[in-house]
Amino acid sequence: MMTSLGSGIAIGYLIFVVLGLIISIAILWSTRAGRRDGGQGVDLEKAERAEPWWGVFVVGLLAILLGLTIWQAPWFTENDDPKDVQVKVTGIQFGFLVQPTQVKVGQDVEFAVTSKDVNHAMALYNPKGQMIMNVQAIPDYTISRSYRFTEPGTYEIRCLEFCGYQHHKMIYPAFQVTA
Amino acid sequence: MSTTIPPIAAGAPEALPYDDARMPLPLVQARTRRFVLRVIWSSTAFLVVSGVLGLLLRLRQGQVIELGDNFWYAVMTAHGLGAFIAWAGFFLMGITFWVLMKVGFPVRSFVLPELMYWSMMAGVVGIVLTTLLSGFGGSWVFLYPLPFFSAGQWSNTVTGIFAGSVLLAGVSILAYCAAVLQTCISPALQARKDTLGQRVGLTFGFGLLFPSRFKTDRGRVPYPVLPFAVNAVDMFLATLPFAALLVLNIVQSVNNGFSINVLLAGNMLWAFGHPVVYLLLFPAAATYYYLVPRYAGRDLVAGKAVAVAWLIALTMNLFVWAHHLYMNYPDGENVQQTLGTIMQPTTYALVLPSALSLFSIAATIYKSNFQWNVASKFLIAGIISWLVAGLQGIINATAAFQETLHNTLWIVGHFHNMAFLNMGLLIFGAMYAFLPELMGRGWWNERLGSIHLWGTIVGAYGWVTCQMIQGLEGAPRRWAVLPDQYLTLTHVSLGFLALLVAAQLVFAYNLWTTLRRSPFDDPTASFAGGTQR
Repeated sequence: MMTSLGSGIAIGYLIFVVLGLIISIAILWSTRAGRRDGGQGVDLEKAERAEPWWGVFVVGLLAILLGLTIWQAPWFTENDDPKDVQVKVTGIQFGFLVQPTQVKVGQDVEFAVTSKDVNHAMALYNPKGQMIMNVQAIPDYTISRSYRFTEPGTYEIRCLEFCGYQHHKMIYPAFQVTA
Repeated sequence: MSTTIPPIAAGAPEALPYDDARMPLPLVQARTRRFVLRVIWSSTAFLVVSGVLGLLLRLRQGQVIELGDNFWYAVMTAHGLGAFIAWAGFFLMGITFWVLMKVGFPVRSFVLPELMYWSMMAGVVGIVLTTLLSGFGGSWVFLYPLPFFSAGQWSNTVTGIFAGSVLLAGVSILAYCAAVLQTCISPALQARKDTLGQRVGLTFGFGLLFPSRFKTDRGRVPYPVLPFAVNAVDMFLATLPFAALLVLNIVQSVNNGFSINVLLAGNMLWAFGHPVVYLLLFPAAATYYYLVPRYAGRDLVAGKAVAVAWLIALTMNLFVWAHHLYMNYPDGENVQQTLGTIMQPTTYALVLPSALSLFSIAATIYKSNFQWNVASKFLIAGIISWLVAGLQGIINATAAFQETLHNTLWIVGHFHNMAFLNMGLLIFGAMYAFLPELMGRGWWNERLGSIHLWGTIVGAYGWVTCQMIQGLEGAPRRWAVLPDQYLTLTHVSLGFLALLVAAQLVFAYNLWTTLRRSPFDDPTASFAGGTQR
């Protein structure tokens, strides 16, 4: 089951893929006309002149996407405001040390994530199996990421950065969020 | 089955041969043909091995077969390097010299291409031995310091040998880059003023931008030269920090008291790890530039914009690595966050060469008398995949989406879409297009070629789409055993993979039967008329 951001990415991607396929099919279909007139029925210089404008169009679209998203980068969305509770998460081959192991719905929770050995990542899955957080655990560094829980239940932490032969078993199964 | 690549429109610069007095053209053609064939057979053998390894990975994820945990990760490491570098990268490195010769840029010396070939072969042998036999399972990016935290699965000595083997593959890439520049920045440019500055300018598209200052007797430099040359410069520069990282790994493997800053090591890795995608994509673009106009029966529709785009690629390609490190934003470490902020727009800038190339190719095909055969159909499928995978690339370059996508199967689906369904389909198309003239015999059966095409498209798209959906649902990447919630789609993808494998068996049979056919009466006939059959 996808999160709302995952669904949004999927829908946006599909819209552009369908548009691209329609244009591609139209171009390929046009070769039927080319077969009849030996490929002479098109003004190639006009197409060449249009190319820079296509470039400008693409740059414009990308600039809009950049303007809409860059401020949502994880390092811009995190702030230094005091949080209700800090949860320390330390990755170590092949498990997580989590302290405390329980928080309450509505609390501002700051996860301070680090590692004792290699790179790991703390991915937090809600009771529905959706991934709601994804934070790297880097040796000698700490990354802080905040979250306010809205649903009680048992959450699961999985390692999302490859860390060795037991990587897929690096799961903390019982992070509790109470009402 | 049609065996010839049609000539481009009469008088186009790309039909001009260049005969180097030091090594007569027929001699270079014959030797290049033998060299390129050797690379094609070697890289295709690597495809077979890495393809089987990839299948084992997915079968284990689907809980169809059992594999030891560390062996699964060792197989994953070998599969990643084997498929990406030893098959696709190596093939495109080899075919580069054929395409360059066809556009009038014959190899000037075989010392560097031979170094490229043998160092890659030695590197692959080392990688196979250290992964499949000695159990190195650090993944193909072997993110530091994991190679030295094996949890008892492999020794530091094995890490050192593995790093040395990858370094040999790096030497192969450096030799390739040097050979391409030696071939391109050459008298074959036919510069009016034959100075180094003029040659460099012409090679990198200044003749398109400033035709009165950079003149050539060719009229203009063939378009395929641009991506080949840009790639050669970028990969040369990008390989150096990675080579340094490998050397540091080797040093640590013999002196465990030595260590590197983890963030610095990550940056050194990705300074190579992203541009290496373009080791495949740019030669692929050049090969599209060469082949598509021939099937469309007209010169590539391109102007100054394409030259600008490749100059952007030349510079920006070296400044995009940090998008692989978006999720590394430690508290109080502003450098990494700044790099991430800068490298989202620089990564977006790299969309331009692809977008303008796709425009040029589309305009070239539009209302043309396009020749449809197996080779050209593979090319068209590859071009459409370039568009599709490029759209995914824009999503991946966006930092705000990373908490949902980073290290999920979406990424795995994306790079298989780019590497297998863009570059891979181009590789198959190039094999259908070039092998007749390289082998001196035509393909045995066109119908089998069509079965190969559709089996590959349906099988591979079915498989990568399953992975991408799983990724959007949070399925972790590089897990030997996936959580049960992803099992259904894994099984669906195995059905598509079975179709993909069947299509490759059809291809293998067609190729085998073709190789057993009698050659053309006169194998050298494929070179009649200079650079064109």
